[in-house]
Amino acid sequence: MARKASPARLVIALSVAAVLAVFLLYTSIAGGGNPSVAPSALQGRTGEVQLAGLVVGPVTGDAHAGGLRFRLKDIGSKSKTRVAVRYTGSVPDLFKVGRHIVIDGRLRSGVFVAEPGSMITKCPSKYAPKQSGDST
Amino acid sequence: MPELGRAALVVTLGLVVYALVAGGAAAHLGRRRLAQSAQNALIAAFFTTAIASVVLLAALVRHDFSFAYVARTTSEALPTAYTISAFWGGQEGSLLLWLLVLTGFGAAAVRLNRTWARDLIVWVVPVFAAVATFFSFLVVAVASPFATQVAPPDGAGMTPSLQNPYMLAHPPLLYLGYVGLTVPFAFALAALLSGRLDERWLIATRRWTLLAWTALGIGQLLGAHWAYVEVGWGGYYAWDPVENAALMPWLAATAFLHSVMIQEKRGMLKIWNVLLVILAFSLSLFGTFLTRSGVVNSIHAFTQSSIGPWFLAFIGLTVAVSLGLVFWRLSQLRSPTRLESPISREAAFLFNNLLLLALCLAILWGVVYPMLSEAIRGEAVVLGRSYYDFFLRAFGLPLLLLMGIGPLIAWRSASFRSLATTFRWPTLVALVAGVVLLVLGAGSSIPGLIAYTFSAFVFATIVMEFARGTRARKALGAVSWPAAFSSLMARNRRRYGGYVVHASIVLLAIGVAGSSAFDSVADAKLTRGESLAIGGYTLVYRSLDERQSANATEIRATLGVSRGGDDLGTLEAGKNAYTIERQVSNEVGIRSDKVTGEDLFVIAEQINADGSVNFRVFVKPLVNLIWLAGLVFLLGSAITLWPDRREQRRLVARAGEVGLPATR
Amino acid sequence: MTIALLLAVALAVACVVVVAFPFLMEPEPETDALDELDEDERHRLELLEARDRALGALKELEFDHRTGTISDDDYREQIGQLRREAAAALQALRRGDNESRTEAPDREGRPIGGRT
Repeated sequence: MARKASPARLVIALSVAAVLAVFLLYTSIAGGGNPSVAPSALQGRTGEVQLAGLVVGPVTGDAHAGGLRFRLKDIGSKSKTRVAVRYTGSVPDLFKVGRHIVIDGRLRSGVFVAEPGSMITKCPSKYAPKQSGDST
Repeated sequence: MPELGRAALVVTLGLVVYALVAGGAAAHLGRRRLAQSAQNALIAAFFTTAIASVVLLAALVRHDFSFAYVARTTSEALPTAYTISAFWGGQEGSLLLWLLVLTGFGAAAVRLNRTWARDLIVWVVPVFAAVATFFSFLVVAVASPFATQVAPPDGAGMTPSLQNPYMLAHPPLLYLGYVGLTVPFAFALAALLSGRLDERWLIATRRWTLLAWTALGIGQLLGAHWAYVEVGWGGYYAWDPVENAALMPWLAATAFLHSVMIQEKRGMLKIWNVLLVILAFSLSLFGTFLTRSGVVNSIHAFTQSSIGPWFLAFIGLTVAVSLGLVFWRLSQLRSPTRLESPISREAAFLFNNLLLLALCLAILWGVVYPMLSEAIRGEAVVLGRSYYDFFLRAFGLPLLLLMGIGPLIAWRSASFRSLATTFRWPTLVALVAGVVLLVLGAGSSIPGLIAYTFSAFVFATIVMEFARGTRARKALGAVSWPAAFSSLMARNRRRYGGYVVHASIVLLAIGVAGSSAFDSVADAKLTRGESLAIGGYTLVYRSLDERQSANATEIRATLGVSRGGDDLGTLEAGKNAYTIERQVSNEVGIRSDKVTGEDLFVIAEQINADGSVNFRVFVKPLVNLIWLAGLVFLLGSAITLWPDRREQRRLVARAGEVGLPATR
Repeated sequence: MTIALLLAVALAVACVVVVAFPFLMEPEPETDALDELDEDERHRLELLEARDRALGALKELEFDHRTGTISDDDYREQIGQLRREAAAALQALRRGDNESRTEAPDREGRPIGGRT
């Protein structure tokens, strides 16, 4: 049987190209996502970022009226930077001082103003050794 | 007793290493007794792993806190069912479960195929043993469940949100899925290694793949349901890396399930199928890695653990070896059959594969992008929800439509005329549905409207297929319509079981579209007696109560619900404060409407000192179709999985004709 | 503690026995070669698969036609080719059979299945 270029293969090839085109178009127009930064790297950034850090007290205010205020510091590193955060919207149950959270927003006059409802807390580690002193 | 557990695992490691080395040598040199010995080793490894598992289970049930693992994951007050589920709740235990299921499946797959696919099994043993070696090594040397300590008076307890029936079933089902994909992978590599590239490896593994795929699907649905009712933010899927970790192999496996049909019917796509199964297995390993290593920001992510690099190394090795084998056998994998027409069932299946894979890879890109951008630019960039939602629509909606088109096109090539005739009625149904929905206000979300219209189309094609099939069967001489129907199903289990599964996906699509494109939300701070209106409902905040349960203090706000003057009863929403774990969990109130399938979803976000409560209320139309879809999905899978005596007889006869024994 | 050790040792011994079993049962086997399919059998298997595929395609075409998925025109177009393919597959099988029979008439019988 003679092997002629089948239109079928052309159609498949075009479809693959179309899928790739959709992907590239989207990523170039809608752009990438938000950079994820630690509090110590926040200084000077103006755009919307995702801040990841440890909650530091005192926690004041009301997230549903006026804004919950607390501070975030770096996870793990010895940095002394503390970023003041003002958050409105749903507060996840696991939120408390010492919890590792992730929050979207931008820096405005020294305070990180969060996107309402963007807070995500990390589940307490199931798969890592617990710190000592956690059991009763 | 931990010594017994540790010893059992060391013996397991020894057994699988032997099975790997001896099995490989036996297959290469063609030694029968050595091959049998390797097989025995693999099967024995299941029993030794089972012994280790029993040791851990006994320690859990006994609340033996001298086992560090037991102390870390349970407490005295924890109900027994959850104590048992702590087996897979932590790192080490979950790896042991992986190993248990792996050796179990390996033993079963080898036993079931030992006579009729002997030449494949001889290579399946070392491949399976290789994977088992990795996991046994992990539980012996890197993350042992049998570490001991001085027993503390009580354990640390289990995260409250995990104390939920869905969390009992979700991880084991996912593991059945992840590990289940090892079987087709092992057979594929065995086919490559042995040079037996005929369709026997596909036939031997078809039901395994289906089982794993079903388990993975149901496991994810259970996880979504858990997120919906327990985590309670109002959604069921957050495109979190850990959720994607299970979705990606499932999508690859779905593509594989479809493309194997092309190989069976037309002998095409041998290379593609092997590559797909390698991808599915690698993604399942990758998914296992993602949920443990902490390399991605995730709500479930767990802090840095030493297990990550080992997984990455193993995944890299697996991919490299597998691709090398494919390359080696490339010439034997080529088939002379060509795709004849872009309008054919083969083409439809290829488009299906293309879209499934595109979605899978887009999700993969979204998951690894933060890691890549951090490595390259020094800064992790996270892709948000909108990225995933876009690709779900861009690739998922055409896929939905294809579900209705594929089954109705002929193999090889179909003419436009026959297409026009076949699709006339479903297209009409879809157009009518679309217009009706527009009138009812569904135009508020174009993707939602499209999803509904496509769903109507697919549903019409499925009904049409059942009707036509039953009618044809009756014309052949069946006694009655029900008899025609059941004989139709009995003789074409794969086809009609597949249609039922498609129907479940349609239900899923409608449920997802309704609850995400057409939902409404309201936030309000209510004092006692105040009310809030949303989506036709009126909720009145009546009272706030506090009560004690076995391990928590429960606060509940009671709301009266009414709609259009009818009293619909009460809803409770609030929080639980767990004593030992010192954590608070959200307890949402959900009212599911039996008729419309919509949910009234109430979250007591914040309970204030003065007794007022900040509520967030959702109305989620059609969301219960998602859970119904799970049941239909199970039914469809069961039908497809059901043993088919006719097919069995044919395969046995064929095996007999080449001198392979007639028994399976 | 000692019970655990005893059990562990017993377990290890049991496993060694299980692994050595094939060698213990047959210390002097007639042949230790793996019972594999040879060239002819493998070729035959391929032919059988081609036959089954062709017959399956015929059945499916009939089914699709009966349920109305395929129009009469399409059916007429395809049935001819599928019948030819099925016939060719059956021919190839029969030819393969005759060849192997004339080649080695005294080959000890593994059952080759029913023949015309």
